[in-house]
Amino acid sequence: MQMSNLTKPQKKLTAIAAGLALSLGILPAASAMHIMEGYLPPAFCIAWGVICLPFLLAGFFTLRNTVKKNRRALTLIAISGAFVFVISSLKIPSVTGSCSHMTGTGLGAILFGPLAVSILGIIVLLFQALLLGHGGLTTLGANCFSMAVAGPLVTFLLYQLLKKCGLNKKVNIFIAAAAGDLFTYCVTAFQLALANPSEVGGVGASFAKFLAVFAPTQIPLAVIEGILTVVIIIALESFAAKELKSIGFVKEA
Amino acid sequence: MLLIDKLCYQSNLRYVNAGEKFIYAILTLCMCVVSRSIPLAVLVLAVNSYLIVGRGGIAFFRYRNLMLIPLVFLLLSTLAIIVNISGTPLDAFALPLGNLYITGSFQSLRRGLQLILTAMASVSCLYFLALSTPMTDILNELRKLRIPALLLELMMLTYRFIFVLLEIASSILTSQKSRLGNRDLKTSLKSFGSMVSVLFIRSLKKSGALYDAMEARCYDGTIRVLTENHPPKRAEIFLIAFFEILLLLLTIWSKLQ
Repeated sequence: MQMSNLTKPQKKLTAIAAGLALSLGILPAASAMHIMEGYLPPAFCIAWGVICLPFLLAGFFTLRNTVKKNRRALTLIAISGAFVFVISSLKIPSVTGSCSHMTGTGLGAILFGPLAVSILGIIVLLFQALLLGHGGLTTLGANCFSMAVAGPLVTFLLYQLLKKCGLNKKVNIFIAAAAGDLFTYCVTAFQLALANPSEVGGVGASFAKFLAVFAPTQIPLAVIEGILTVVIIIALESFAAKELKSIGFVKEA
Repeated sequence: MLLIDKLCYQSNLRYVNAGEKFIYAILTLCMCVVSRSIPLAVLVLAVNSYLIVGRGGIAFFRYRNLMLIPLVFLLLSTLAIIVNISGTPLDAFALPLGNLYITGSFQSLRRGLQLILTAMASVSCLYFLALSTPMTDILNELRKLRIPALLLELMMLTYRFIFVLLEIASSILTSQKSRLGNRDLKTSLKSFGSMVSVLFIRSLKKSGALYDAMEARCYDGTIRVLTENHPPKRAEIFLIAFFEILLLLLTIWSKLQ
């Protein structure tokens, strides 16, 4: 069909649709699910921040004690934060062709433990907001809860539990990392639903809707993140046994 | 390597007093979030775009591309807010689907619009700060807010390491690409995994080396850095105060309505 056959509104519509399709194609479509700046009402911003506080304080005091005992730990923790930031800012291979990013916090939780990740997480989230435009300052508390507290905690607990059950290590890491990612996605959907209850059906219906709209990007992402975490840990165990020992991941026999 | 960081060092507003920029951005952001009013959001968006592009000298297309980063999140979640599935049609639109309707009300449409504009205005505040104030200056402002020194030191070191690690990562990715390391999904997953593990090993080595270097230079538990001092200008303070009072009045007005 030639463009000249279209009426003016049709042309406009085609142009808008093309523009939208193009922008969706170019943009970093599925970044880890950060709630954007300004999206939550002030009461929710503060409430989520307060909920994070105990985890952050626990993380901070553990950190301070570790640094007091061993000053070398400071640079190690700093570089771990940079490491999490860098892997979460790199595009990962994906099935759909759209670019997506790892959260990296699942890997962090398996390597460094959930308390260290909470404090690393908030630093990384702040840098992601200021250097990448992912997430924001007012939503820092909410994002911190979903990505730096809830997700890593699930990953860590599941990893320890399945290790006790004697499950195959690769399967275990895959399940733990993917479940952590999925849990982050559920918590974020819940946070959004709580702030924006639906007119029909309230928070429950709204939760279902948020889960549904983000599912196409987040579920493949969780699978990819699980696979990558397995690949990374296996590679680390074969090349970097000494380094893993130094951060306490492998107990000295 | 990080676009926002590079742009912010080039901005014309870089040498304006960091405290002024920090306070302006945070106060404006709070007003946007608290008021959630459409006129205020439009005003803030316009002023910030002028400040970033007009005064800061950031190319318009770069600013536009940055503003589009959260677009997908915005579209998807607004879709979830304005679309309902219900047995009874609502007033704005309704598409029948069996005996259910895909429907929405004027109220939720308004709410969606309000949310989009508030969010875009807030993002512009974030970008104003990020595109005019280098991270070291922001950390300096945080120091004045009595954030624990240990945390700030950690942030400073993390910031510094980000660039070291990004450079390692990007050179590994380039050499992987030149050797067909991402031929198909399986190879690319494997390549990405090995890149990350090498990155991790290198990180630990770098961290050890940095500590040795710091200790050799008499590191005793605190990192001291010199800061450049750019005193605030009276006219700028006056303008910021005027603008914030205007926003405050708008906020109060929108709440009274």
